[in-house]
Amino acid sequence: MKKRCTVLLGMTLVLVVIVGIHTACPAAETIKIGVIYPLTGGAAAEGRELRAGAELAAQIANNVMADIDMDMAKRGGITSLGGAKVELIFKDHEGNPTLGADLAKQLILDDKVVGILGCYHSSVTKTVSAVCEQYGIPMINDSSTSPALTQRDFKWFWRTTPHDVTFTQDLFELFKGLTEGKVKGVPAVPKDQIKNLASACEKTEWGSQVSETIETFAKQYGFDVQKSLLYAAKSADLSSEVRSLQAVKPDAMLFASYASDAILMVKTLKAQKVSAKIIWGQDAGFEAPEFRSTLGDDVVGILTRTVFAPKVAEVKKVAGQVNALYKKNIGHDLSGASARSFTGLQTWVEVLQKAGSTKPEEIQKTANSITIPGDQLIVPWKGIKFATSGSDRGQNELGSGIIGQYQKGKDGEIVLEIIYPFEVATANMIYPFKAF
Amino acid sequence: MEIFAGSMVAGLLIGLLFALIALGLTIIFGMMDIVNFAHGEFLMLGMYTALLTSQATGLDPLLTLPVAGAVGYLLGIACYYGFVKFLLRGPMVAQLLGTFGLMLLLRNLALLFFGSEDRTIHSGILVNRAFDLGMGVVVPATKLAGAVLAVVAFAVVWLLMHRTRTGKAMVATALNRQGARYMGISTERMNGLAWGIGGATVMIAGALLVNFWSVTPYVGLLFTMIAFAIVALGGFGSIPGAFFAGLIVGLITEIPGFWDFFTYLTGSRWMAGVSMTPFKYTCVYLAYFLIMLLRPRGLFGWKN
Amino acid sequence: MEKLKACFDFSDLPRLDLTIAGLVLSALLVFPIFPHSSYAMSTVIQFFMFALYGMGWNTIGGYGGQVDLGLAQYLGIGAYTTAVSMIRWNTPFWVSMPIGVVLAIIWCFVVGYSVFRLKGHYFAIATIAMSLVLKDVFEVWKFVGASRGLEIPSTRFTSPDFLHLVFTNDTYYYCLILAFFVIGLLYINWFRKSRLGFQLRSIKDNEEVARSLGINVQWAKLKTYAVAVTFVSAVGSFHACYVKNIEPEDTMSLDLSILIALMAMLGGAGSLWGPIIGAGILIPLKSYLKEWLGARAGLVGIDVVIYGAIIMFISAVEPRGVWGIVQRVRRRKRA
Repeated sequence: MKKRCTVLLGMTLVLVVIVGIHTACPAAETIKIGVIYPLTGGAAAEGRELRAGAELAAQIANNVMADIDMDMAKRGGITSLGGAKVELIFKDHEGNPTLGADLAKQLILDDKVVGILGCYHSSVTKTVSAVCEQYGIPMINDSSTSPALTQRDFKWFWRTTPHDVTFTQDLFELFKGLTEGKVKGVPAVPKDQIKNLASACEKTEWGSQVSETIETFAKQYGFDVQKSLLYAAKSADLSSEVRSLQAVKPDAMLFASYASDAILMVKTLKAQKVSAKIIWGQDAGFEAPEFRSTLGDDVVGILTRTVFAPKVAEVKKVAGQVNALYKKNIGHDLSGASARSFTGLQTWVEVLQKAGSTKPEEIQKTANSITIPGDQLIVPWKGIKFATSGSDRGQNELGSGIIGQYQKGKDGEIVLEIIYPFEVATANMIYPFKAF
Repeated sequence: MEIFAGSMVAGLLIGLLFALIALGLTIIFGMMDIVNFAHGEFLMLGMYTALLTSQATGLDPLLTLPVAGAVGYLLGIACYYGFVKFLLRGPMVAQLLGTFGLMLLLRNLALLFFGSEDRTIHSGILVNRAFDLGMGVVVPATKLAGAVLAVVAFAVVWLLMHRTRTGKAMVATALNRQGARYMGISTERMNGLAWGIGGATVMIAGALLVNFWSVTPYVGLLFTMIAFAIVALGGFGSIPGAFFAGLIVGLITEIPGFWDFFTYLTGSRWMAGVSMTPFKYTCVYLAYFLIMLLRPRGLFGWKN
Repeated sequence: MEKLKACFDFSDLPRLDLTIAGLVLSALLVFPIFPHSSYAMSTVIQFFMFALYGMGWNTIGGYGGQVDLGLAQYLGIGAYTTAVSMIRWNTPFWVSMPIGVVLAIIWCFVVGYSVFRLKGHYFAIATIAMSLVLKDVFEVWKFVGASRGLEIPSTRFTSPDFLHLVFTNDTYYYCLILAFFVIGLLYINWFRKSRLGFQLRSIKDNEEVARSLGINVQWAKLKTYAVAVTFVSAVGSFHACYVKNIEPEDTMSLDLSILIALMAMLGGAGSLWGPIIGAGILIPLKSYLKEWLGARAGLVGIDVVIYGAIIMFISAVEPRGVWGIVQRVRRRKRA
């Protein structure tokens, strides 16, 4: 009989699952927030940033830090709930939407979290928010930019970050500003010099949506998209794509690419000696640290949209204070990802503080009515206030994007200077883009 | 016309690179009828070997090719004697299962040790260099070097197989294992050698690729699939087959370029409205599928 | 009636097998009554789904010896049929599932007619190629949501909705998939003893001999392929209702196809219990190894390293999988 244990092995493993009973702890003085990020898998680097940002926000919320000019830093816990501390429970979704939904159920049913924060990938946020909607648990999304997420009329979903429509509109505002001479350091450019656009976006959800948005806005602002192509992400070769762009001789080339593709794209552009007056990337790959370090001086003049650049610290004091703390903990500046996860958790803390309750209904009511002024935030937004109706329900109406340009600083280091919004521009724009 | 010439040259160059990658796979298959799912993972390890060696020693990445070759040879042999040898006793199902396990193992070991970030080489002779030949033909130095290396590698392997004693023994093993054993050939050693050569060629290819591409632990699967298509298209085990099939696959991935060319040539509005770029690799798979229907044994198939 | 009786006839199997199977099945039956974590629940549901996929694969790949590595395309067809018809026309699951199965069978005849002329590795790679082509088409096809995929709005239905399979409580899904599982198991039990089953095994052993015995090899393979596809597509429809969000990357990827084949091959291709054992080992391993090692210890990827090592070990030691090891132990004991 003993030798039959191999049969039993397979069967008992099934049984192990059955016995795997987790007992739910009763809520103590901590308030549990479930945080779902891509801690492993293709976006693990971003996942680490996101996690560090959220952890820093929790640290500031739970302790009194007098030297940070933020309400959250003065309280030391959530005072309306008897000084309760915020506890973060991290889960790793690997960029897999189905796994994300599973983890959300686990957080809601097993860990009994008050609410959820996440999830970076728009596709995962989609499934996780659907689970939250089904169970009536509030979710704040800090870093997914697919416009479709807030077009679903969900009652339990709020998003702090601006989405791709806003970001793309920023780009066309920049183009408009160029023709009107509003851009710092650039005299007005005749419109027919930047009229012809070409875009290349990766073909999954995010890229295809950006591509559509670009075409919509181009029509609205009176620009011509000569070529808009979608390519397979993680491509082995982009030379035919680049040749396709080159054929229409565009004035501006617009991209939505992840890191490895963004690097390959710029390398191929350089190898084929293709250039345009403006090269713009929709965040992601164009903002990755590797993009800058690999391509070195070649990135000078390239534009990217983002929500945070260390340069923000120059125009915003509180951002500088938090950035200094982050740099002390982690060793480098805040990025677009960590600044947004910080803001996401900060919003959670403020909502809980104002609600004074952990009941989902109370949180829902508060989230729908809360206004967080811009001076509390490290990102350069006017504040946080969620739309409660209409086609963009749950979207933060006061958010805005930045367009940055890689420029060489005095010490020879490459920094991301702010070009748009024009009021907070930190440097003159390099226009036109010098050829590779 | 410029687009046509550019696409043609780019297609042939990338095709040679693909052929170089597929060379190891076809050697291994020819010898022991085993499809190696971990082939792309060897390529990935080759890329990491070159990257880490050049970063640690400060050598030009081009000079790390022999290092990658040596590591690949040893790894290939280790894989054979440590693992694949046992797989060969089983049916095809077990072999697929086994090499798939090897793929998971290698990929995630890389993830464990190297992390998931995109990594790239920042400087070197080949890095960021290109030659402009006019007529819209621009040749990046990495691809040119890869193409030259591919031709050399194919020539060397072909000569090795047909002019040396060991090579002839390998061909004999491939054709008839039982017979070869009767003739006093150590088929075990031949198989090991095939894995060594296979590993070495693909890791050299990887070391070359890293001059242009960035590397992550996940980079392998796409190349595995392309190499599969090439090897199957050329006929499993056929070395000249892999060479020409590589060129064909290279040209197929340039279909978007040709499509553009004909769009401008004919001025067709319909063609301009259809974008071929999302279907780049789809075309490769479809071509494989169609050719299989016409010639079930591949273009140069020689084994039963 | 005869056939139905044959479904329930397990008398050719050793009593020990049946005892263990009975014990496990009854343990699974009472599982939802006991307190359990939702993670355990979703793990068990996944186990059932993959066991069913594996059973489907096992008909063509195990009994028939045709290693198919592209079954996910039929999973996608089933899932998409259900999702599209539910979102657009409010079609109940019980209507859309059979439609999905029919569509999948039509497509499998198109694919099968051409690929069954190929053998061995050529066949395996051709199935991969075809499934990738279909996936790429779905990624740009606007009608099915392109790469964005489709989302079944759970709030449109009031849970529990037995027509559209929208439940808040996973226990309903559990009971349903358990029923599917039992039906699938009984069917396979009949299948392995059926005429087609024996024809297949002779095709696997030697196609030429099978042909000379008067078996229509092509037709037998196509029929079996249709059986396999029915399993996969039906569970695919269930998957759409359970997950409520489907994308090409999620439902039709190569990884999924390979995972399906892997389960069955690891458990033991061509045996009744093989796919179930395979899924029973790999699914909990996948969920819990990651939870224990990856998340707790911070060793990224170590879970799949172990996972890969186990697969390598079994494939090298016993090519017929875990079930092969069991058989070997048994034979040695008898001798």
